[in-house]
Amino acid sequence: MKYIDRRDFIKISSRGAALASAGAAVPGLLTHAMAGPVPEIAVAKGNPPGAATRAAIEALGGMGRFVDRGARVVIKPNMSFAKGPEEATNTHPDVVRELAVMCREAGASSILVLDNPLQRVEMCLERSRLKEACETIPGTGVEASRRKRDFKEVSVPLGKSLKSTMVMKKVLEADVLIAAPVAKSHSATGVSLSMKGMMGLIYNRSEFHTRMDLDEAIVDLCTVLKPHLTVVDASRILSDGGPGGPGNVIRLDTVIASTDMVAADAMAVERGTWYGRRFKGSQVAHIRMAHERGLGNMKFAGRSVKEVAV
Amino acid sequence: MIRFQRVVQGCSLALFVFLLWKASYPLPGWIGVDLFLRLDPLISLGAMTAARTFIPALAWGFVVLGLTAVLGRFFCGFLCPFGVTVDLADRITARWRLRRPSGDGARRSGRRWKYWILAFTGGTALLGISSVFLFSPISIATRFFGFVLFPLANGGADAAGRLIEDASFFLGIGDFSLPEVRMPVFATNLFVAAMVVGILLGGLRVRRFWCSTLCPAGAAFALVGFRPLFRRRVSEACIRCGKCERVCPTGAIADDFVTTAHSECILCLECMDVCPVRAVEFKSSLRGAETDAGVDVTRRALLGSTAAGFFTAALVAASPGYLHGKLAPRPLRSSSLIRPPGALPEPEFQARCVRCGECMKACLTNTLQPVWLKSGLSGLWTPAVTARLAGCDQNCNVCGFVCPSGAIRPLEPGEKLFAKIGTARIIPSRCIAWEHDRQCLICDEICPYNAISSRFVEGRPVTVPVVNENRCNGCGYCEQKCPVEGESAIVVEAHGELRLAEGSYREQAERLGLVFHAETAREDTILSPGSPAEDQGGLPPGFITD
Repeated sequence: MKYIDRRDFIKISSRGAALASAGAAVPGLLTHAMAGPVPEIAVAKGNPPGAATRAAIEALGGMGRFVDRGARVVIKPNMSFAKGPEEATNTHPDVVRELAVMCREAGASSILVLDNPLQRVEMCLERSRLKEACETIPGTGVEASRRKRDFKEVSVPLGKSLKSTMVMKKVLEADVLIAAPVAKSHSATGVSLSMKGMMGLIYNRSEFHTRMDLDEAIVDLCTVLKPHLTVVDASRILSDGGPGGPGNVIRLDTVIASTDMVAADAMAVERGTWYGRRFKGSQVAHIRMAHERGLGNMKFAGRSVKEVAV
Repeated sequence: MIRFQRVVQGCSLALFVFLLWKASYPLPGWIGVDLFLRLDPLISLGAMTAARTFIPALAWGFVVLGLTAVLGRFFCGFLCPFGVTVDLADRITARWRLRRPSGDGARRSGRRWKYWILAFTGGTALLGISSVFLFSPISIATRFFGFVLFPLANGGADAAGRLIEDASFFLGIGDFSLPEVRMPVFATNLFVAAMVVGILLGGLRVRRFWCSTLCPAGAAFALVGFRPLFRRRVSEACIRCGKCERVCPTGAIADDFVTTAHSECILCLECMDVCPVRAVEFKSSLRGAETDAGVDVTRRALLGSTAAGFFTAALVAASPGYLHGKLAPRPLRSSSLIRPPGALPEPEFQARCVRCGECMKACLTNTLQPVWLKSGLSGLWTPAVTARLAGCDQNCNVCGFVCPSGAIRPLEPGEKLFAKIGTARIIPSRCIAWEHDRQCLICDEICPYNAISSRFVEGRPVTVPVVNENRCNGCGYCEQKCPVEGESAIVVEAHGELRLAEGSYREQAERLGLVFHAETAREDTILSPGSPAEDQGGLPPGFITD
C-alpha cells in the first residue's frame, strides 16, 4: 500500500473533485460506466471454495476493479499455524489460489502472499498448503517473515493507544492489499477476521496484549492498514477453540467479499455460529469500535448485499 | 600430486559435514545421518557398558574394531573426521611447532595417556556412568561442528545474503530479498570451541597430538591393531636417511627407522612415499614380529586407570545432584529440566547419551540445548528442552531418529504426540491477565493441544488462562510466546513427564487419561457452566451485549 504525500493528495483530490463535478453534471454516469449497480457486499455460497471466491469477487465487479495492470498485490491470508485446511485455523488454500489467479488475470505484475506466523515458518508454509497452492501461478510468492529488517516504522495518526508500529515493507510498497482471512473464533477478541488479521503484517504484536487494550489497538491498526478488498473465507469456520484450534469446525460453504472490511467481518459474524450461538456483528467489541470510529459500516439495513450461488 | 589418503580424508570430512547438515527436519530417508557416530568403537563400548545392554545400532563400532585387527588404524588415517580436522589444524600450527621430541623414550611416554583415558572411561562405565562424551573423537567432532561451526556458517551466510541484497539495491542492480538463513544458538558453545582449540593446539608440540596422545578410540584401535595383518615393513635396501621417521605424523617410527609402533601407525603411507630407495612397503605379513614396537602401556597402569575411573564415578554417584538414584520422585532434580520427547528414563538416558549434540543440531526449533550442570556432573551436555527459547514442534520427531545410541527413542509422529515431556504451570503473579487485568491469551492462542483455556474467574474482569494438565504435553510453545518480559508467566515443568524404556507412549498416555489428539480435545471449557462473570451476560470473551 502506498502512502500519499501532500502533492499526491492535491492531485488526487483535484481529480476527484473534477470527477465529482462531472458526475453531478451527468447524473448516473459513474454507475452506468460500471454496467449495473455494484453491491457493497457480496456473499457467495458454494463449493469448492475457489469457485465461491471467484463468484463473490465477480459479483463485486471483478478483480479488475481493484487490481490494475502491472499492480503489485499483497494478499494477507491466515497461515499462522502449522495445520491443515481442515482445521480451519488457516485460510483455505483454494481461496488463496483463486485470489492469486484472479489478480494474475487482472494483470498484476507481482502477487505476494504474506503473513507473520506464530509457528515455525517452514512448517506453516508446508502444512497450511498455501505454498503448494500458489506454486504454479507465475509471479506469485508465498512468504513469511519475522525479521526486523523486513519491517518499517509507520505512524498511526488516528491511533488511540497505538501511535506507531512496524509494518512489513512489502505491504507498504504494494499497490493493492487484499485481506483474505479464514473466519474463526478467537479466545480474546471473540472472532478473528480481516481486522484482527492485520496483526499478521506487523512486527510487534505482543505490545497489543501487554501494553494496550487489544480491541482498541486492532482498530487503531486498521486505520493505517486498510485493505482495498476483503475476502473472508467462511467455507468452513472454526466456531470455537480459535484461533489456534483444535475446535469445532462448521462447514458454511460461504465466501464474503467487500471493500469495507468492517462490513465483511460483521457479515461473517452473522453467517456463522460462534461458541454454539449466533451473534450480530455489533456484538463483537472490536467490530463495533471500528464502526463507531468510522472505519466502515457494520450494519446492513439499506445496503446492497448481493447473494450468489455457485 | 594429491595423495590417495588425502582424497579419502577429504571425502570423509565432506560426508561428515553433509550428514550433519542434513540432520534436520525433514530427515533424508536414504541414509542415517548419525553414521559416523556409530563407527566410533569408544561410543559403542562406553554406551553399551554403561547402559548394560547391547545396542544394535552401535554394533558398527565393533565391525570397525574388527577390521582394525586386519588393517591397523585405517579409521584414524582415512575416515575419522576429527583426524582430518587435526590434520588441517596441524598445517596451521606447523609454523610454530616446537622441535620434535627426539628419541624413542620421549615419543613413547606421550602415547601412554590415551590408554589411561580409555581405561578411565571404561572404569566409569562399569559403574553405569558414561564419560565417553568427554573423549570420543566423533562425539567431540559432532559437537564442535554442530555447536560451533554450523551456527557460524549459517550466521555468515545470512549476513552475506543481506550484504548482497543491500549492495544490489544501492548499485541499482535490483531490489530482491534472499532467503533468510536461520542461525541456531547453543549453550556451552564457547566451552566446546575452547576444548577443541585446546586439543588442536597440541599440534604445536607434535603432529596428530590428539590421535597419538589422547584419543581413547585410538587407544582401542591400538590395542586391537598393534600387530595388524597389513603393516609396515622395511627391506634391506634402507639407507638410514631418516626421512620416514621425520615425516611420520604419529611418531610411529623408531630411531632405527625399521622398528614400527603399528599401534600408532595410521596407514597414511607417507613414509613409503618419501623413501628415496623404496625400502618401505606395506604388505600383509603373517610371520615375524621383529619390527614391532608393541603397545606402550602396562597392565598395572590400565588397572590403575580403570580403578580411578570407577572411583571417580562412585564419587559422582555419591553427590546429591546425581539423578540416577532410584528415589521417587527425584527430589533434587531440577523441575525445569525437560528432556526431549522419547528420552529414556533418566539413568538409562544418561548412560546411553554420548553428548554428540546431533539431536540439538537437528532440532527444528532449536529448543534442545546442551545443559551445563543442571542434571549433575554426569549430565554435562545432555539435551534439554529450553521452552523460553522455542517450543517443541508437535509435527517434528527428528531428535529420536538422529540419536545414535537410542538415548532418545525414535518415535513415529503418532507415538511422539503422546510422549509428554512436562506440564505447563501458570505463575499468576507474573501473568498480565491474572495480575494486570489485560486481555492477553497468547498462551491459549498458541497451545497446539488446547490445554489452555480462557475462563472467567470470580473477581477478575477479563478471562484468564488455565491449564488442563491432561491435555498439556509440555511442548512449551506457551512459555516461548508469553509476552511478559524476561521469565515467562507460564513455564513447563518436568512434572507429569512420560519416560518409557519400552512400550507404547500412546497406550500409556491413554491409560493415564491424557488427551493430545485434536479430535477429542475440542474446546469445551471456555464457557464452562456457571463460570462467566455476571456483567458479561454469559458472553464469550471479545463479545459484548448489543
